Amino acid sequence: MKLLIIEDETDLAEDIVEYLSKEKYVCEIAASFEQALNKITSYKYDCILLDLMLPGGSGIALLEELKRQNNQDGVIIISAKNSVEDKVKGLQIGADDYLAKPFHLSELAARVYSVIRRKQFDSQNVLHANELQIDLLAKTVTVNGKPVTLTRKELELLLFFIGNKNRVISKSALAEHLSGDIADMLENHDFVYAHIKNLKKKLQESGCDRYLKTVYGMGYKWEMP
Amino acid sequence: MTKLLNKTVKPFAVFSLLILAISVPVYFFIVNNIWQEELDEHHRISADKIERELNLLSDTTAIAETVRQYNYLSAGGYITPLKTKQAKTDSVYSHYRFDKYHNEEERFRGLTYTLYIHGQPYLFTVETNIEESDETVMAIALVTLTFFLLLLVGIFYLNRRLSRTIWEPFYQTPESLKSFNLSDGTEMHLSKTGILEFEELNAAINKLTTRSIAVYKLQKEFTENASHELQTPLAILKSKIDVLLQDETLSQEQVERIAGLNASLSRAIRLNKNLLLLSKIENQPLEDIRETILLSDLVDESLEFLYDQIKAKGITVTKQYSGEVLISASTNLTEMVVLNLLLNAIKHNIEGGKLHVSLSASTLTISNSGADSLKVDALFKRFSSASRTTTGGGSGLGLAIVKEISQRYAWRVDYEFREGLHFFSIRF
Repeated sequence: MKLLIIEDETDLAEDIVEYLSKEKYVCEIAASFEQALNKITSYKYDCILLDLMLPGGSGIALLEELKRQNNQDGVIIISAKNSVEDKVKGLQIGADDYLAKPFHLSELAARVYSVIRRKQFDSQNVLHANELQIDLLAKTVTVNGKPVTLTRKELELLLFFIGNKNRVISKSALAEHLSGDIADMLENHDFVYAHIKNLKKKLQESGCDRYLKTVYGMGYKWEMP
Repeated sequence: MTKLLNKTVKPFAVFSLLILAISVPVYFFIVNNIWQEELDEHHRISADKIERELNLLSDTTAIAETVRQYNYLSAGGYITPLKTKQAKTDSVYSHYRFDKYHNEEERFRGLTYTLYIHGQPYLFTVETNIEESDETVMAIALVTLTFFLLLLVGIFYLNRRLSRTIWEPFYQTPESLKSFNLSDGTEMHLSKTGILEFEELNAAINKLTTRSIAVYKLQKEFTENASHELQTPLAILKSKIDVLLQDETLSQEQVERIAGLNASLSRAIRLNKNLLLLSKIENQPLEDIRETILLSDLVDESLEFLYDQIKAKGITVTKQYSGEVLISASTNLTEMVVLNLLLNAIKHNIEGGKLHVSLSASTLTISNSGADSLKVDALFKRFSSASRTTTGGGSGLGLAIVKEISQRYAWRVDYEFREGLHFFSIRF
């Protein structure tokens, strides 16, 4: 999997690279409009992370260039502006997702995972992970062929974990993922615990391995080779 | 408070009265003097004429006869022969004496004059009745008073006319100032007055308001820009912590420290986002998107969103909707208001408390259990102490956001506390 990170904040870009490299992703960084343009015209990527404010030009212009070249790369806009107009415009031009800064790297990883999955398995919407099988369209989960009934939030958590295999995910990242736009208003993230507990229980009862581990004081980890 | 014009009228009136009062004795003095001068002159002319005419008569008996006739007919004159030695110097005088024609005490101006007829001295005395001083003074005072009253009436009339014509444009200035709203960002338009002083005043006011608007704008933009600039370092911090977490060599103690860092950072991010949101609402042009919103749906969705929070605190939710309430506003902003109010109702609720949402024709009321009344005056202010309760962690901006959005749509937000319940209501 090849990723291009178009981001002028090198600190942030490097953290993204470090976090995502663990998951078989090969990452490249472009820190300016010029570099980014060179890379997208010369190479093909599975997913492009695009900052909208770049030295030398705007990310929207890059996005338009991508579409003009009929480039099929997945694009996730990462922007500090978080304006509705930018979001609507970006998605209209053809971005696959929009993530407002600041974000948790686990959230970004989950989105990257989802974009790549959609691009790769265009026709089939079933995700396999060892004994787990997730039908993304029907929103059903089976363990060794046996169906498990999960709530919407439990399913969201499961997908989030699979997108962040073998990494410690903080409780706040999970809370933000579950509560979406209103996450910024919430101060108490304890509700995550109840959903995790239920998910763990349901998976165990259906005979699934204990992939989900609690990292004391910090959060959770989905350990899957 | 007296009006400026009335303030000027009073000293003017007092001053006029004073001047006119002084003028009364002055007038009297002048009139009396002129009068006496004229009488004295007239007396002298009479004396001269009598002396000349009598000297034309040669016969002593004729002279005596004429003198007798004159004395008999004249009202005030009297001629008596004098012995040569008795010749007196001429003199003028004024005095009061009883007058038999008027039958009362009268004032007289007189002249004594020594005539010489063929060398023989005669004493000529002539007296003319002149008006008494008190009567003169009275007459002058009366006339003066009449004019003073005329003057007063004139001043009042002119004043009223002036206030309507000249001062009218001035009165518009405080009116415009009263309706001036800094946060509107619209400049004041003061009409041309054609009067130098008012023009200067208006120019100064225009300059002041323009400057204030500019400073206010700058201030607002500053908040937005500062929050924007903060987003990047906050984003880097957040990603650094996420990366740090992946380090498997971390000790338990270190992990806990990182968790502490994470909590503080989350709070900083939340605060910054809310500030950004507030300044965005403030800076947004007024003509924004208006959608028709079915309020009951919005409330239900918001409650659904907050289901986890409600459940975690064991809160019982009750609803009472009467009829369909449709409002026209931005869905995003309305949702923000409802969510903030509901969140507060959950956050500041007691364990296992109640939350009631009632929706009627034009009012949404959210009530929840609570211990004490909140300080009403500070409630909707940014970072007010009322929002910093013992539960902590609040951004202190939630209700400020509610207020800002409500103001935008001219909704009325109210708070009250009764029977152990906090009531927040919005009238649309």
